[in-house]
Amino acid sequence: MKHLFTTTALIMGLGTTAMAEDITIGFAIAKSGWVEAYDAPAVAAARIRIDEINANGGLLGKQLKWIEADTKSDQAQSASAGLQMVDEGADMLIVSCDYDFGAPAALAAEGEGLNSFFLCAEDIKAGIQGVGPNSFSASILAAVQGATMAEWSIKERDAKTGYVLLDTTIEYNKGICTGYDWMFPKAGGEIVGRDTFLNGDASIASQITRIKSLAEEPDVIMLCSYIPGAASAVRQIRAAGINSTILNGSAVDGSYWLDAAPDLSNFIVPVQGSIYGDDTRPAVNEFRDAFEAATGAGPSSTYAYPGYILIDLWAKAVERAGTVDGAAVTAELEKMDNEPTAFGPRSFSDQLHHQNTAEMQIVEITGGKPGVIGSFTISEPVPLDVLLK
Amino acid sequence: MNAIPQLFFDAMSLGGIYAMAALGIALIFGVMKLVNFAHGEYIAFCVFALIVPSTDAVAVMFIGKAPAIVLIPILLLVGAAVAVASEFFVFRHMRRATPVAMMISSFALGFVIQNTLLLVYGSRPKAISLWPELNKPVSIIGASIPLLQIIVILTTLIVVVALALLLKKTRIGLEMRAAAENFTMARLLGVRANVVITGAFALSGALAAAVALIMVTQTGVADVRMGGQIMLVAFIATVIGGLGSLPGAVAAGFLIGAASVILQGFLPLEARPFRDAFLYTLVIVVLLLRPDGLFTSNSTKPRV
Repeated sequence: MKHLFTTTALIMGLGTTAMAEDITIGFAIAKSGWVEAYDAPAVAAARIRIDEINANGGLLGKQLKWIEADTKSDQAQSASAGLQMVDEGADMLIVSCDYDFGAPAALAAEGEGLNSFFLCAEDIKAGIQGVGPNSFSASILAAVQGATMAEWSIKERDAKTGYVLLDTTIEYNKGICTGYDWMFPKAGGEIVGRDTFLNGDASIASQITRIKSLAEEPDVIMLCSYIPGAASAVRQIRAAGINSTILNGSAVDGSYWLDAAPDLSNFIVPVQGSIYGDDTRPAVNEFRDAFEAATGAGPSSTYAYPGYILIDLWAKAVERAGTVDGAAVTAELEKMDNEPTAFGPRSFSDQLHHQNTAEMQIVEITGGKPGVIGSFTISEPVPLDVLLK
Repeated sequence: MNAIPQLFFDAMSLGGIYAMAALGIALIFGVMKLVNFAHGEYIAFCVFALIVPSTDAVAVMFIGKAPAIVLIPILLLVGAAVAVASEFFVFRHMRRATPVAMMISSFALGFVIQNTLLLVYGSRPKAISLWPELNKPVSIIGASIPLLQIIVILTTLIVVVALALLLKKTRIGLEMRAAAENFTMARLLGVRANVVITGAFALSGALAAAVALIMVTQTGVADVRMGGQIMLVAFIATVIGGLGSLPGAVAAGFLIGAASVILQGFLPLEARPFRDAFLYTLVIVVLLLRPDGLFTSNSTKPRV
C-alpha cells in the first residue's frame, strides 16, 4: 500500500514538474505513527483553504495542487520526506506540527530557498531562530498562551496566588510556563510554589503532596503539559481534593479526554478558535462547520485551525509578491502587521515568524462541559528576550 | 499533614507498580533467559482492551463496562492470553536462539503490538474513566492518600505472597524453580518444559494486566506508548535485583519507586527536572558496587 502510494505520489510529482501551470504545495507530514493525530486535522483544514482558493480562480491565475510524503512520525524520515517534496517540484512546504518532527523537512525547504510553514509549532525555534529566514509557523507561541492565562486569571478571576506545575518532557510546555512566569508577577500575582513532573509518570503523588502542604490552596495552578500526561495530572489533582482553578496551554483543548477527569470544573484553556461552535467570531464557527462538512466530523482540537490560517496568509503574500519565490514571499509576509484573518489579526516581522500576541478565546470547562466564556488579548506582546529564554 | 507517612505511602504505591512489572519480566527471564521487552506493550494492550476498538477521539468502554468482579478476571485472562500467544507464535520457535537474538525479537514483537494498537485505535491518547472513586483520598495515620494507593500496596503484597506460595508449594512452582536453576538438567529430570514456559508467560501476562488496571485507574488515559517508561524501570529493577531473582526484582522495584519519590520530594527545584538522571546515577552506583545485582540467583553464577 505504502509503495503504491509513494509511486502514485512520485508520478504526480513528475507530472507537476512537467506542467508548470500549477503551483505545488508539498506536505511533508506524518500520515502514520503517533504524530499523525496532530498533523491530520490541520492538513485537512489547509486543504479546505486550498480548495476555496482554487474555486475562486486560483492563485496568480494558476491552480493550487498538493503533493505529500509521510514522515512516519520519525525525525530521520522527516528529512527525506522534505527532500522528496523538494525534488518533486514543491513551491512551498508544509511540515509537521511539532518543531522536532517538522524541522528536518523544513530545513530541506530552506536549503532550496523555499518557504516552509509548520502546521502548528509553538516554539520560537520553528522559524527564523531554528530553521532559517524563510520558515514560519501558523500557530500562536506557547509563551503567549501562558501569559494570556496569567493576565486573564488576575483580571477576570481576581487570582492572587499561583502555583506552577511544569511537565519537562517537551519544549512547548516550558514555553507556556515561561510566558506565565513573565506575566503573572508583572500583573500583580504571586507565584507561591512550583514543581516539575514528566508526561509519562505513573503517578504524581509526591507533586500533589507538595501542593497540599502549602499553607493555603493556591488560587490558580498553571499546568504546563499536554495529553495524556495533563489528563492524568488533572485526574490526580482533582481526586486529591485540590479545587484551585487549573490554567493550561492550548494543547489540552478538546473534549475527547474529559472522561479521564469526571465532572471537571474550574478548568481554563486558551485557544485560537473554538471547536464547539460558540466562538465569539462568526467566521470561525462557519469554518468549523465547513470542516465538519468536508471531513465528516468537527475538529477534535483547536490545532486544526492553523492549517487554514497558514494557507490563507501565504496565498495573500504570494498574491502581493506576484511570485512563489521564497525570499519575495517572505518579504511580503514580514510586512504583515495585524493582517486580518478569520481567527483574528496576525503579524510577522524580520525578527519573528510567530505570533507574540494574539486574541485568544477562553474556554472554560464546567461540570465536564467546555464552552467559550469570552476572548482575551494580553496587554503587551511577549518580548523576544523572554521568548528566547 | 504528616510528612513521613505520606512519603511512605507515595513511595510504596509507586514501588508496588514497578515491583509488579519487574516481577513479570523476572519470571520469564528466570525460566528462559529472555528479557521480554514486549512486556510494556502487554500493559498497553490490556489498557486498550478495556475500550471498543475504534479510531474515534472519544473512547467507548468495552470490557471496561463490566463490574469489577467480572472485569478483573477477564482482563487478567486477556493479559495472560496475549503473553501466551506471543510465546506460542514467536518465542517457542527461538528456544535454541541466543538470549540476544530473543531479546531483539522481543523488541520486534513489542513494535508489532504497538503498531497494531496504533492501527486499530489511532494515535491520539484516549480517556478511560475506570473506577474514579478509587482516587478519592482517605486519611491514614496523618497521611491523606488515595484509596487506590492502599489497594496497589496490598495487591502487590498479595501477589508476591501468592507467587511465593505457588513457587514453593505447587508442582508447577517446583518445576519453574528447577527450570530457572538449570533448564537442561530440569528437562532431563522430566520437567515439562512447555508447561513451565507457558505457565511463566501466562503469569507474566496477568501481572502486566494488573499493572494496566492500576495505571489506567490512576491516570485515566490510554496511550500506545504508556508501557515504555514502566517497562524501562521494571527492566532496571530486575537487573538491580539480580537477573532471575524474583524476590530481588520485587525488592528493587520498591527501592526504585521509593528513590524516585524521595528524589522528587527533596531535590531542589532546579535539579528536579533531572530527577531521573539522579535516579539512574544511583542505579549505576548500585551496579558498580554489586555488578550481579543486590540479590543474585544461583543460576546466573558460573559454576567452576
